[in-house]
Amino acid sequence: MKSPLVTECLFHVAGIPIGAPVVVSWAISAGLVASGYLLARRLTLIPDGKQALIELLVETVDSQIRDTMRVEPAPYRAFIGSLFLFILIANWSGLLPGVEPPTACLQTDAALAVLVFLSVIYFGVRAGGWRGYLATFASPSPLMIPLNFVETLTRAFSLFVRLFGNVMSGVFVIGIVVSLAGLIVPIPLMGLHMLTGAVQAYIFAILATVFIAEGLESHAPGKPEREAP
Amino acid sequence: MTTSWWTFGLQTVNFLILVWLLSHFFWRPVAAVIERRRQMARDLLDQAQADRDAAAQALEEARRRSAGFEEEREKILAEAWREASEARSAALVQAEAEIATLREQSRTAIAQEEEEAARVWTARAGELALTVAARLAARLDGAAVTETFLRWLTDKIAALPADVRSTLGAAGEVEIVSAAPLEPGLQRRVGAEIGAALGASLSFSYRIEPDLIAGLELRTPHLSVRNSWRADLTQILAEINHDERI
Repeated sequence: MKSPLVTECLFHVAGIPIGAPVVVSWAISAGLVASGYLLARRLTLIPDGKQALIELLVETVDSQIRDTMRVEPAPYRAFIGSLFLFILIANWSGLLPGVEPPTACLQTDAALAVLVFLSVIYFGVRAGGWRGYLATFASPSPLMIPLNFVETLTRAFSLFVRLFGNVMSGVFVIGIVVSLAGLIVPIPLMGLHMLTGAVQAYIFAILATVFIAEGLESHAPGKPEREAP
Repeated sequence: MTTSWWTFGLQTVNFLILVWLLSHFFWRPVAAVIERRRQMARDLLDQAQADRDAAAQALEEARRRSAGFEEEREKILAEAWREASEARSAALVQAEAEIATLREQSRTAIAQEEEEAARVWTARAGELALTVAARLAARLDGAAVTETFLRWLTDKIAALPADVRSTLGAAGEVEIVSAAPLEPGLQRRVGAEIGAALGASLSFSYRIEPDLIAGLELRTPHLSVRNSWRADLTQILAEINHDERI
């Protein structure tokens, strides 16, 4: 078994090495976009079963965002919802034979965590401006500015390390059990891995939501989408 | 390590593209149809509320109109009652006037009938009196009666004013009317006494009228001297009628 920190290069495109996690991510992305397009291309006011299912998904994402951030979910729906769907499918892709989940690759989790970190800044600045966003570091006291700044970095670090650790460990455990006990025995562990993958996707998305919401905690005016708690 | 950084960068770009594509093809259309359905539901609810408000307003209007109808009905009934009362009073007044008129007309008619009846009865009484007188006269002595009436006639002629007597004397022909035929001797004596009473020599013609009952009358074309029971009874009857009218 190879190290989880090593990315295997499958081929090169214009001199750029393409690893397995990237290929699997492309496949997952293509599948998600194709599925989303096929499911959402003929929407009607009276939904059928499939439309009701995807509307339930959208409503659930909106509800989580609304409950967590106390704002209208439209500006954040695509990022948070895509984050959840991608991590969920990526985690579950490890159940396919010969496929290693992209989220078991440190670079993938780090990329997602960096995007969450940048999204916090983007949404915070968009909601309250640079002054408003930077003011959040002085909350509750200016003395907390260094700690808040460090927290911003460490929580992004903890975000991808948590996801990476859980998914990678699940893959490792299943791989070890398969190598030791054959094909049938890992099935309960695979079920557990599905549960862990769903929980980790949910946790990652919820934490991203919470971090973005904290970035909106500005005392500066000009945040019309904020609602009273 | 190079591969790892490329992987990191590719995954970052990959996810950003995924977010954009899903946002364009999945999240926005689904959210839009949800929002459209919510808007339609809101519109339906608003429309339902508007319809309910309109219905409530229409109901209120109907109630108000119904109350108005009730009030109008009461007003019309009161007006009808008033007009009926006025018509009834007018009809009563008119009926009373008509009754009074009819009563007056009846009274007049009754009075006229009574008067007519009295006149008829008076006439019948006169006729009866004439009949009775004729029958009584028939039992009297004809010559004595004629003598008496001749004397009364000469007295009446003598009582006439002189100019009237001269008018009678100038008449030329005088008709002497009697109830019964006069014998030639009596005719000459009657003519002689009348001529003496008039103071003129006249020619006389004699005529018989049984209706006179008894008596002698002198008639000229312009003047007559009544002297018979018929004339007396007629005068009496006229006087009686005159007294009754008074």
